[in-house]
Amino acid sequence: MKKILLLLLLSVNFAVLAQDDQPGLKSRKWYIPDHLKLHFAGNIGFLSGGPGYVSRNKTLETDLLFGFLPKKFGGDALITISAKTTYSPWKIPLKNGYYIRPFSIGAYLSYTFGPQFDTKWPSYYPAGYYWWATSFRPGAFVGGKAGRNMVIKNQVRQFEFYYELGSYDLLMISYVQNREYLKLSDIGNLSFGVKMAF
Amino acid sequence: MKIFSQLIILLLGISFFSCDGLFQFNPNEIVLKESQRNLTGKNIEKIVKIPVKDTLRFIFMGDSQRWYDETTHFVKSANQQRAIDFVLHAGDISDFGITKELKWINDIMKDLKYPYLTVIGNHDIVANGSDAYVRMFGPLDYTFGYGDYKFIFINTNSLEYGLDGSTPNIPWLKSQLADNPDKKQTIVIGHVPPFDADFDKNLEKEYAATLAADPNLKFTLYGHQHAFKEGEYYNDGVQYYQTTSMGDRGYLIITCWKDGQKVERVQF
Repeated sequence: MKKILLLLLLSVNFAVLAQDDQPGLKSRKWYIPDHLKLHFAGNIGFLSGGPGYVSRNKTLETDLLFGFLPKKFGGDALITISAKTTYSPWKIPLKNGYYIRPFSIGAYLSYTFGPQFDTKWPSYYPAGYYWWATSFRPGAFVGGKAGRNMVIKNQVRQFEFYYELGSYDLLMISYVQNREYLKLSDIGNLSFGVKMAF
Repeated sequence: MKIFSQLIILLLGISFFSCDGLFQFNPNEIVLKESQRNLTGKNIEKIVKIPVKDTLRFIFMGDSQRWYDETTHFVKSANQQRAIDFVLHAGDISDFGITKELKWINDIMKDLKYPYLTVIGNHDIVANGSDAYVRMFGPLDYTFGYGDYKFIFINTNSLEYGLDGSTPNIPWLKSQLADNPDKKQTIVIGHVPPFDADFDKNLEKEYAATLAADPNLKFTLYGHQHAFKEGEYYNDGVQYYQTTSMGDRGYLIITCWKDGQKVERVQF
């Protein structure tokens, strides 16, 4: 019984090893990021960037972005970190390794550093005095992207350009309650970025 | 990649010339055009040019917060009133202390036929709000004189400063009341009334007594509680008036003359 179990374990192990050696499949450790992104605007910094991971079928990306807003562009110097996830279900292949992912939808949660921003309101406020946290900001967006797969030094590398139209919770609530005065363009914003997968 | 960099340069170019907010970098950014700066100073300049009449007539409204549609309706209603000199906003201009909200309200209020002035509310202090207020409107405590009247605007949002005894700034209030060589009738405007729980309890008595001790004080005005109120709250001869919120669709029309005043409640 023990021998059979051992054999089974070994075979599973071999199967995993064999899979890792298959060409085209990544053999890197799970925690090594799949790609890097550089992002402009989108309420998570003037510029933000960081590593990300992609699902096996390449439709779901999750990123960690470190953003910085200089005082010159924002009236206040602000540092923001964001966790962001993007789902791009469809891929249209074009010539020469080019492709389009026409539709993306996603969400993010950002955290902005600063003593003026609260996560848990100070105890001198009555419970529920303000219902939102000013440091954390959840948002959502739709967009699309275009990219190209290239073989550089025998490795497949991927470059993508993407755009996003987004908004965040506080503006969305304002919009829903003021359909007469506010237009969608009042609460939306445009952002874009580049992605490099390796 | 060359196309990408060209595209980025193009979009960066657009971002600096585009109308407000195509690109946003943080909800708490404070990005203002020249026409959105120093609004208190600019509007005081307009008010002091209005010819002084026997009676002063102004609108006192407040707590526009997240009620943009209602504030638009307020502007329509206010523009139909007769002989109004100016409009005073009792604070809580914004709901989340976001600069974008202050811009929206200014965009609505600039359709008024009259200049408007504001006092800061507790919601306007949240996050980067007070910084945005200072840059967009002006100082949190300020005064101006018009005809026989002196208006004193004071930040009474004690709770936002942890009830630390700093707010309202009573020494400043005393100095402004004392600085009145022409004995102008004085009207003091704040957001949180002294009888509200968000006003520093340790300063309540001294604040009320300071107003009562001034021989030139005409009455005092507040918002915050989203309800009309009036009364002599401290049995000291000082009349307190409170306006309601834009959500409640109401405001006050205040008419002043030498020996009295009339305060009318309007629902729109």
